[in-house]
Amino acid sequence: MDSDYAGGSGEADREIIRLWRTWRTVFEMLQDRGYEVTEDEVQISLSEFRAKFQEPTSGLPRRDQMKISARPTEAMQAKYTALPSKSNPNPQPDCGTIYVEFCADSSGVGTKQVRTFNHTVDENNFHSGIFITQTPISPSAVRLLSGIPGRICEHFQEQDLLVNITRHELVPKHVLLSPEEKARLLERYRLKESQLPRIQVSDPVARYLGLRRGQVVKIIRKSETAGRYASYRWVI
Amino acid sequence: MPSPDRPAAASSPALAQRPGTDPRHLAIALHHAQQIQAQKDTQTLILDRILELIELPSSPTADPATPAAADVAALKSALRPFQPADYDNLILERNIEGRCGYALCPREHRKEDPRVRFRIVWGAKGSGAGGRGREMDIVPREKLEMWCSSECAERAMYIRVQLAEEPVWERRADDRRGRQILLLEEGRAASNDHHRQRQPSASVKDVLGQLDNLNLATGSASDSADLALERGDVHPALHGGRVEVQIREKQVAAGSTRAPELRPEDRMGGAIEGYVPRDTQDQDQDMLDLL
Ligand SMILES: [Zn+2]
Repeated sequence: MDSDYAGGSGEADREIIRLWRTWRTVFEMLQDRGYEVTEDEVQISLSEFRAKFQEPTSGLPRRDQMKISARPTEAMQAKYTALPSKSNPNPQPDCGTIYVEFCADSSGVGTKQVRTFNHTVDENNFHSGIFITQTPISPSAVRLLSGIPGRICEHFQEQDLLVNITRHELVPKHVLLSPEEKARLLERYRLKESQLPRIQVSDPVARYLGLRRGQVVKIIRKSETAGRYASYRWVI
Repeated sequence: MPSPDRPAAASSPALAQRPGTDPRHLAIALHHAQQIQAQKDTQTLILDRILELIELPSSPTADPATPAAADVAALKSALRPFQPADYDNLILERNIEGRCGYALCPREHRKEDPRVRFRIVWGAKGSGAGGRGREMDIVPREKLEMWCSSECAERAMYIRVQLAEEPVWERRADDRRGRQILLLEEGRAASNDHHRQRQPSASVKDVLGQLDNLNLATGSASDSADLALERGDVHPALHGGRVEVQIREKQVAAGSTRAPELRPEDRMGGAIEGYVPRDTQDQDQDMLDLL
């Protein structure tokens, strides 16, 4: 970690460092969800980050420049393609390019900013969007964000992503099952999905992975006695 | 009498025909699904309304004390499905856009010194205890910053207390709250009228002028849709309740019916759910005393 930057003033510099951590977590999150990101993007150094997003004179971050878009990998597309059925013999993947934007306003984020964000997502025909703000957003803004028909938009606060919770040693690995894997699991144990234990979409790990209702996630724990063991949860 | 189709089965024949489907469970599931849908519809409607009301008033020079009639009508009709929390969300959104929280005011909201957490607010002369001096209030900064002035705070709160506490889908059709909202100015005018002796000399022109304000059935399609939503008409399942009631005529056995007649054992009044009162005589006496 290169923390020997000379030009940083106390407060602005602390903000840049925090923002850099958040930025890296966003790329890790995109990678873990299955989007195409490069190792260079995930591993961006603080000095590179400064060069791109720090105002040279004031030392303040330029959040208005902090935008990302990423395409799903083939593996992700496979996980998001429903099994063929009689009514839909040739299902298309329900995922696509994702757009991430950092909101520049330091307080008072409401429907006004979300309307602009939604407009960008809609206009560029992005499949999904992630809106990241410094402060909580208003209840109406949350509702508006989740209300674009046919698109999936999420909200995070910068501090939610300051550390990557899934990298914590006590958090077991969560892996999304494809529709085929899910069907095989239910078949093997002769279960209905509703008989599985559940995980809420609002759960922090579910939010990190962008899980959707109806999906099944495999949770792999390390156990002192049994080595590794897996459990499954149905997303509600 | 032909047994009518259960409403649930009628609306989804494919589900109902599946073997092992209990129609009652299906009806309950559908009831819940429809209720969830009603909630979602209402939330979407209210969000749309909030977005509209952020833009009020229509003129940047409007005076909140004498708002334009069209704006008043728009506000009143938009607020119908609101609960107080929705109204608070509207105030918050207006503040985020820098505007006074009262929807008919075009001014900016107050901005206090961010380092100050509370401010002392003095009332009008004579508002203090016993009608002397001034009333004093300590108000947190966030509360003050919602409005441009204390007048607008009062106007906005006057409306807030008239909103229905229950969500639309739980309101009764005859619940008038939220349907006849009065602005502070209207409320004051009405109570003044009440106290003052009515002037009998209203000219024909005055009356005709007032009649102009009586817009019966200006209702557009959206108005009746709102009304339907408020009444829950779009969700028939919400009316029927969870238990389906089927009325069947009692089969009357053939033979003549006789009028009831007094039998010897009925003289003391008989048993009540198997219990024979012992002191019927005394009770009769008590009744006579009362009379
Ligand atoms: Zn005002």
